[in-house]
Amino acid sequence: MADQTSHGIGGLTFDKSKRAWPNEANVFIALILIILAFEALGQILPYMNGQSMLFDFNTSRDGTILNIARIKIVILQVSIIGIISLGVTQVIISGGIDLSSGPLVGAAAMIVMSFAQTELVNGQLNPKAVFGAWSFDLPVIVPILVGLAFGALIGSINGAFIAFTRIPPFIATLGMFLICRGISQWWTKGQPVSFPTEEFAAIGSGMMPVVWFALLAVLLGLVMKFTVYGKHTYAIGSNEDAARMSGINVKRHKVMVYMIASMFAAFAAIILSSKNLTAQAGMGQFYELYAIAMAVIGGVSLTGGRGSMIGTVLGAMVFGVIQSGFTFIKLDAFYQLMAMGSIIIGAVVLDQYRQQRATAG
Amino acid sequence: MKKTLIAAGIASMLSTTAMAENIGVSMALFDDNFLTVLRNGIQEMADGMDSVDVQIEDAQNDVARQLDQINNFVASGVDAIIVNPVDTSATQAMTDAAAAAGVPLVFVNRQPVNVDTLPDNQAFVASNEIESGTLETFEICKMLRAQGLGGGAKAYVMMGELSNQAAVQRTKDVEDILGTDMCNFIEVIDQQTANWSREQANSLMTNWLSSGEEFHAVIANNDEMALGAIQAMKSAGIDMADVVVGGVDATQDALAAMQAGDLDVTVFQNAAGQGSGALNAAIALANGEDVDQKVYIPFELVTPANIDGYMSAN
Repeated sequence: MADQTSHGIGGLTFDKSKRAWPNEANVFIALILIILAFEALGQILPYMNGQSMLFDFNTSRDGTILNIARIKIVILQVSIIGIISLGVTQVIISGGIDLSSGPLVGAAAMIVMSFAQTELVNGQLNPKAVFGAWSFDLPVIVPILVGLAFGALIGSINGAFIAFTRIPPFIATLGMFLICRGISQWWTKGQPVSFPTEEFAAIGSGMMPVVWFALLAVLLGLVMKFTVYGKHTYAIGSNEDAARMSGINVKRHKVMVYMIASMFAAFAAIILSSKNLTAQAGMGQFYELYAIAMAVIGGVSLTGGRGSMIGTVLGAMVFGVIQSGFTFIKLDAFYQLMAMGSIIIGAVVLDQYRQQRATAG
Repeated sequence: MKKTLIAAGIASMLSTTAMAENIGVSMALFDDNFLTVLRNGIQEMADGMDSVDVQIEDAQNDVARQLDQINNFVASGVDAIIVNPVDTSATQAMTDAAAAAGVPLVFVNRQPVNVDTLPDNQAFVASNEIESGTLETFEICKMLRAQGLGGGAKAYVMMGELSNQAAVQRTKDVEDILGTDMCNFIEVIDQQTANWSREQANSLMTNWLSSGEEFHAVIANNDEMALGAIQAMKSAGIDMADVVVGGVDATQDALAAMQAGDLDVTVFQNAAGQGSGALNAAIALANGEDVDQKVYIPFELVTPANIDGYMSAN
């Protein structure tokens, strides 16, 4: 990783002594500071009665002094968008952007769920079965494969347009954003799709979203660090022309990058619909923006070539802590949005400042 | 000049094809479950009539886009327009646009601010939002009392999108009921928005549960959020018999949850009835008939006792 991340904009290497520690350490420190801030607010705010966010000294509840339930929800509520964010991270590292992931989640969820519906609900025929009453429930592998195939299709279309027609990724994926919103509404004409089989419901039940997020983060982290695929992605993001001249098949690689990103989003859709036991056309709203924001807070540079999966996971955790923290201190929703926006801008400003300092001289 | 000629030409073509009434419909949002049932109510009724053609457009929750759609309908010479307003405070401009062209207009589901000053050829069809939250909260209050909690009970309130009039009204209904002598034993621990969404409600409930505070009821502005709360409580191992959960809409998913014993109260809003009511009003106005300017389709309380009558309603 050190080799790749030490490339600045345009592939220039810079003096490593000017950067005391890796980017991810800064995000981690920020995460700790935010947790401490909420702990302090719990003590200071008069209506909180000195409650603690992460600790629970009533050990009879969890058997530990930690508030396990809170720690779980902090991660659980960002796992699904976190999975999208992993895919988006490698797109951003390659110098691109993917705006289509949110609507893709909606469309994929609708399609996947219609293959996962169970025949009977409370002993009666499923009132909303898209394909009518099945004479049997489809095995769980069918909806999963359908979803991943749909993601791969959308992603390769994104990638093909970006690589071969050279239109900006922003435009290509913006178009796909609208196409996918249309697909998700068209599939059932807006009707929600509910009641999956038990096997399908197990994919995203309980803490399973966190397990998937962790597995995929480790997997993609290793791929980005140790494989040719990862090295080429960093190389293209750092300097596309140099990458091409050094013999990388940039076009084919870009198609792969977008395809993988969309398959991650489709997998997130599978987990989301499984967790909620329903698919609805409006699902995934703003997920693309939150996914990008998580990556950016985690130190992934929008100019490409810099960032890591560890950073994105930490970025997702920052999001989770803030979201839980706001509910913890009973902050009204209006202020939550304002504060969230400010934190995103602040994170990028800090990152820019650090980058300039690191590359200067 | 050219434009008027073309328009006149098209208009004459239209009038020669049939006596068909052309009705333009602008829906606030296609993604919303309830509005989808309403939209299907309009569509199905129109499909069953030979002489009515409807064209339904999606305003995508955008006020400006909706006004453009209305102007487009007027320009294409529809016989009447049905509007499901994105923003209930932005309806005056729509009324003006339709009135200037003499095209009848029917607002459906969401009450426009200018409801009391509508011109003669405009009407409003909906359910009275005050009923929904009131029916829901009062039933929850009675259930808590029946459980012997009349000495003191605690509840969480989940609100819909804060920019939406139904969310604001239903939340106010909750407050009003909890202010009455009969129900003021219920204390609200916290109220937050989950934006009508099951996923967000699931996260919010799990966040609340992590504080470990004791509670007896969850009052949600709609069923989707109630279902999200139920899923969160179930995965935390809470026995759903110990908590009273209420929502609004009586969706298929909600009724299934009620049959399973998880959801205790919901309120049926007759979406299809509103859709067909709006179409009836639009057709009548297009034919120059008199129509009640406010048509209210009543809300109905749904509990495990009377659920069977609603299984195929929405």
